[in-house]
Amino acid sequence: MRGQTAPERAAKAPAHDLTGLWRRARRAPDKKRQYTIFELTASLGNEIAPMTPWGEEKFNAAKPNGGAKGVSLAESNDPALKCFPPGVPRIYTSRLGAPFEIVQSQGRVIMLFEYDHIVREIYTDGRPHPPDLNPTWMGDSIGRWEGNTLVVDTVGFNDKSWLDSVGHPHSDALHLVERIQRVGRDTMIDDITIDDPKSYSKPWVSHMRFELKPDWSLLEYVCEDFLNFQDLEQRSESPK
Amino acid sequence: MKGNRFVPFALAVGLLVVHAPVFAHHGSNSYDSKTLTTLKGTVTDFQFINPHSEIFFDVTDSAGVVHKWVAEAVSVASLSRYGWTKNSIKPGDQISITGNLAKNGSNTMRLSKLALPNGKVLTVERGEDYAQ
Repeated sequence: MRGQTAPERAAKAPAHDLTGLWRRARRAPDKKRQYTIFELTASLGNEIAPMTPWGEEKFNAAKPNGGAKGVSLAESNDPALKCFPPGVPRIYTSRLGAPFEIVQSQGRVIMLFEYDHIVREIYTDGRPHPPDLNPTWMGDSIGRWEGNTLVVDTVGFNDKSWLDSVGHPHSDALHLVERIQRVGRDTMIDDITIDDPKSYSKPWVSHMRFELKPDWSLLEYVCEDFLNFQDLEQRSESPK
Repeated sequence: MKGNRFVPFALAVGLLVVHAPVFAHHGSNSYDSKTLTTLKGTVTDFQFINPHSEIFFDVTDSAGVVHKWVAEAVSVASLSRYGWTKNSIKPGDQISITGNLAKNGSNTMRLSKLALPNGKVLTVERGEDYAQ
């Protein structure tokens, strides 16, 4: 379970083929320090660029449930807690350990996320982004192969989602470029360049690593079930 | 842990607890992540649900007082991948249950593992940095 065996690492990646069930890997990037599960699976990494004043203001207004500046569910303004789509790249961190499946068909690479059945459709048939895009929660994605790397370009985001679960911001100018590469049969990396000059002083990269879970299948996680706990939390916070 | 060490704790908790188990879903901040505690009790209910499954159980102290507890686990998907099903635990099962206690003194714990009457041990993969 922990990491891969030498033969697994050596198994070659098929060409132009990202199909399979993938999950955020729990192997630390290096052995020099202890990484928390949060850092490995729910964080966007530690290369976040300094925010602009606009970005800082938005970040300070965010009230996440959990983390260093976490508040209660009732006080949180995290849109994901109201079951709005998490956006990208936050979808890769939703529900620690929740996997997604990649299927490929003519002209499309489709990501099916276990979290709330969210779907990302990446058009690989050469089409450009449509002009005058309506802003959406998950953006508009097109992709092309460069060698064995799928380069995915996503624009057209609204500004209503958070970039991550601690409330890092993004604007509707967010432009993501993902370089997705299957580096072995069982390992896939995604280097995500976050380019949002309204929120960050320069582009920065979130490095993600995924491992293949051939024995798993997608199960169901319905976000609205989370609302089961609003009542319970209120009960737990009433004076004893 | 059973026996003498548990009795004073149970009495102290008994003074604080309200009629229903006081349930807190606040994430890892609410639980003592460094210490594991084991209790023995009888299952009264098992909710195999998202986002967190719940195990309700009664613990009887040496004075014969019954204390109502709840253990919070992870999602159905995560538990399923560790071999749990909706039939893994039933009301009436005598269990030995290990987890991290809530810091606010309520009868709540975050589940680490559970031993069934037939000796089988059910574990979970936990998202935060808890004592293993």
